[in-house]
Amino acid sequence: MGSHAQLSSQFFGDLLDSIIVDVASECHRIARLGLDRNLEEEEEELRLSAQARVRVADPSNSGEANSKYVVDIFGQTHPPVANEIFDCMNCGRSIMAGRFAPHLEKCMGKGRKARLKVTRSSTAVQNRYSQGSPVSTYSPYSNSTSTSRLSNGTSSGAGEEYSNGTFQEP
Amino acid sequence: MTTGNPSYTNPKPCKHLADYKLNHGLSGYKSLQKHLKTAPHGKTSVGKPSTKTPRCISCDGFQGRLYFCLICSSVSCLDHNLLHTQSEVGHDVAVDIERAELYCCVCCDQVYDPDFDKAVMSKHIMGITGDKNGDESIGKRLVKRRRLGSGVVEELVDSKISKQLISMRDRRAKSCYPLGLRGLNNLGNTCFMNSVLQALLHAPPFRNYFLSGGHNHETCRKRSVDQLCLSCDIDVVFSAAFSGDRAPYSPAQFLYSWWQHSANLASYEQKDAHEFFISVLDGIHEKEVKSRNQNRDNGDCQCIAHGVFSGLLRSDVTCMTCGFTSTTFDPCVDISLDLDTSNFPPKNTANKSIKPDANSSMSTLLGCLDLFTRQEKLGSDSKLYCQNCQERQDSAKQMSIKRLPLVLCLHIKRFEHSPVTKMSRKIDRYLQFPLSLDMTPYLSSSVVRNRFGNRIFAFESGESDISAEFEIFAAVTHAGTLESGHYVNFLRLRNQWYKCDDAWINEVDEGMVRASQCYMMFYVQKSLYQKANEDWSHLPISPRRNMFGQ
Repeated sequence: MGSHAQLSSQFFGDLLDSIIVDVASECHRIARLGLDRNLEEEEEELRLSAQARVRVADPSNSGEANSKYVVDIFGQTHPPVANEIFDCMNCGRSIMAGRFAPHLEKCMGKGRKARLKVTRSSTAVQNRYSQGSPVSTYSPYSNSTSTSRLSNGTSSGAGEEYSNGTFQEP
Repeated sequence: MTTGNPSYTNPKPCKHLADYKLNHGLSGYKSLQKHLKTAPHGKTSVGKPSTKTPRCISCDGFQGRLYFCLICSSVSCLDHNLLHTQSEVGHDVAVDIERAELYCCVCCDQVYDPDFDKAVMSKHIMGITGDKNGDESIGKRLVKRRRLGSGVVEELVDSKISKQLISMRDRRAKSCYPLGLRGLNNLGNTCFMNSVLQALLHAPPFRNYFLSGGHNHETCRKRSVDQLCLSCDIDVVFSAAFSGDRAPYSPAQFLYSWWQHSANLASYEQKDAHEFFISVLDGIHEKEVKSRNQNRDNGDCQCIAHGVFSGLLRSDVTCMTCGFTSTTFDPCVDISLDLDTSNFPPKNTANKSIKPDANSSMSTLLGCLDLFTRQEKLGSDSKLYCQNCQERQDSAKQMSIKRLPLVLCLHIKRFEHSPVTKMSRKIDRYLQFPLSLDMTPYLSSSVVRNRFGNRIFAFESGESDISAEFEIFAAVTHAGTLESGHYVNFLRLRNQWYKCDDAWINEVDEGMVRASQCYMMFYVQKSLYQKANEDWSHLPISPRRNMFGQ
């Protein structure tokens, strides 16, 4: 080995030694002062989760996942679309439960037309709740992306538009 | 010396350290103070201004660890520090120059002394101009610490519950199942609402409040002209859920009320469970504020939403040049976490990776919390003004939890929106989460202490007595894509897990919950969880409830 390679190898070794002792010193202090987290419990949780994932991924265990549309624990069955009927509190018409939300949206004038008039900005939502909002309070300095939300309606556009395309225009 | 969480074990000194203290007291520490060098990021080392490079007195070496004798200030390397103690009797205790740690040359081990740590910390504090009291500076938005604390809410609801407890045999069929377990009809893409409602229905302090008549319709109507009251509507849902009737309930009235409330918000159409959750708490709070003409002081707010869910976050911004730290406190009703990707394997307090094998690439909740409380260096394009340096400097920010709520809602940011491509996507990555969660490492006292190398020192004075141990009781999961997906809630009642998929309630085993993809997790303080599990067996349906229920 040339002397340069030897030298750099030595420096590297010294740096590595220094780092190792740093970590050892830190851990030593943590252990002596009783500050270490309960690693056993944490590892047990990790193990249980890993086991569970394996079991769930096994196709022969799919029984529970498919039981949704059969019977619940009270012995009841339900249709895919809720068929309870009640009166709309806005217009008084009789509506089926499973179609209540889309009806109410139109009924309250919150259909597509109404939506376009209102300015939409996610920051407005957050700022309104500025005292308690998770985004505005601790991201004045951070570069993280803004609100994180998941829609469960169908959306016709990308980005922050959450248009619900499931019901028809009147 | 330290109060509240966490407690130190004050380690017993070795014989040599004890002797040293006896003979020299604190004089060695005090004279060492002048030589201590404090770095802005919290670490301490020993610097000797006189010589350029410290060298071992025995071998003149300068490589490896060097130790500075507390008595005579001579420097020895690791190989020769024992020699020093042999030639000079009593010179047993030295200081590691790199890390400012005490080292006993005879025991060949690192040793600890609270007085030494105090001397180190004093140097840190002295080094920052303007701080004489030893308290870190607090920003202008400091919220007054709640004098009553959450204990009041707890007491209030517990005494009412116990008065109402009657052992009553439920003659209805299906009575062996926990009360309050009832499906919610999907009213048309409203699973986002149903999943959160289920969590609220079973959040112990929240539930106790409503079931014990905490929100009175009569007084509510009298107090305000405005008929709209989300709490009244929630109360109706509670009555329905706990009425004993097991046929799925349609929360139509609630949806109507919520839409009227959120019509004031720009995005009334939010179909996101987390946004819904925030909006409901906001609605409850607003009504409370209006009816009592209070200031919007969320830190001290006594409304049930804040009483149960509100915690306090601490944000420290440190100047990387001088170490001056600016601290602000902000209340929060939940914590939104970024997923820790495989770039950051979960670390324990010593910054060591746990299990560097198959699990190291898995995201874990603890990993996300570590990420949340990690000191984050802000880029050079976002320099912040430092009061001490009087100019903009590179800074680092660190979050921690000053006060934990009774019910902790953890939200995982699974939605990614790129402002560049204008594309949004859902992050489907699996997240491991524990059923029992200890939040101690994320408290301000732990985080700040860790920043300074875990010195034995009273970093946080007067932290509340709320325990940091939590148990999960509800998990909201999301399956599917951004555009079309489905929310399901898993509830943990009396140590049995139930899957609440809109109208369908089924028993499931713990494994299924662990393997699911969580979006929001609801943890409650362990003591409240245990209490809820005991009392429930004979919690009854009070006849009065049926007046409001269906």
